[in-house]
Amino acid sequence: MDLAILKEYLPFLIPLVAAQVALGITALVHVLRHPHYRFGNKVMWALIVMFVQIIGSVVYFAFGRGEE
Amino acid sequence: MRNYTVFLKKEIFEYTKTYKLLIMLMVFAVFGITNPLMAKLLPEILGSLMADSISMSLPEATAFDAWTQFFKNATQMGLIVMTILFSSILSWELSKGTLIIMLTKGLSRTVVILSKYTCMVLVWTTSIALCFGLTYGYTVYLFPGDLTVNLLFSTFCLWLFGVFLLAVLLFAATLTKSNYGCLLITGTAIVVCMLVNIIPATHRYNPISLATDNLGLVTNSIEVSSLYCPILISCLLSLFLVVLSVLIFRKKQL
Repeated sequence: MDLAILKEYLPFLIPLVAAQVALGITALVHVLRHPHYRFGNKVMWALIVMFVQIIGSVVYFAFGRGEE
Repeated sequence: MRNYTVFLKKEIFEYTKTYKLLIMLMVFAVFGITNPLMAKLLPEILGSLMADSISMSLPEATAFDAWTQFFKNATQMGLIVMTILFSSILSWELSKGTLIIMLTKGLSRTVVILSKYTCMVLVWTTSIALCFGLTYGYTVYLFPGDLTVNLLFSTFCLWLFGVFLLAVLLFAATLTKSNYGCLLITGTAIVVCMLVNIIPATHRYNPISLATDNLGLVTNSIEVSSLYCPILISCLLSLFLVVLSVLIFRKKQL
């Protein structure tokens, strides 16, 4: 995709990327600060929430998050 | 009544602390932005992928394509994410024992169920409103002048289906002890609805019509009046399921 099209869609891409990154970072911070998971380990969850957009974070908070 | 508001506040606080509210809002916001964008970009992406030797005329994207994306995403991914997030609605607190303390202190079980249901419906309403608002705003910006009919009614149907799904979820949560059981029962209920939908005669009475007929409404190929029956049935079933959940939870051995 050339630069002109990219510029045209910037008003969409910025909030979209911001939302995804915000979700990913929140999940990543949680993964790193709470080292107890229902299953899996720290490296696995960190990779999942960083590289699987949206779904990774949802799965982590729904299933992977351990007891406080 | 006072117990109810206090417990409702506690529920909302819990959703913010467990990031459930954040996830719901973020997922639906991402969908809301992606819908019109995908509709606009899909012809261009397809066009750039095709080799020069193949000629294929791609129709110009319209506002209708954006709403196709909206109803596709919200009825599939949106509802799935919601179900997964809310599947631990009762099992989490029961397994940790925090709910039992409050119940022995005199909190009525009816209040627990009702405020949990209210809170789920509130979160769902906010999320779908956010998604609808973003899609609407960007669609108007990207496809100015394109008009669509029955949009609000169609979205209302989708919202009502979500409310019905939450009632099923709550009922399933009172029946089982784990959140996987809850997910299983809810999933089974939806699959049964879909299977029943194969018989054309049942289509007019099936609540799942509310989530499958949205596009037909927007293109005006489905009469608005044909959905009055599913709407009524969904409302009655939701009410029935919530009352049943209250009755079961009151009798349940914790």
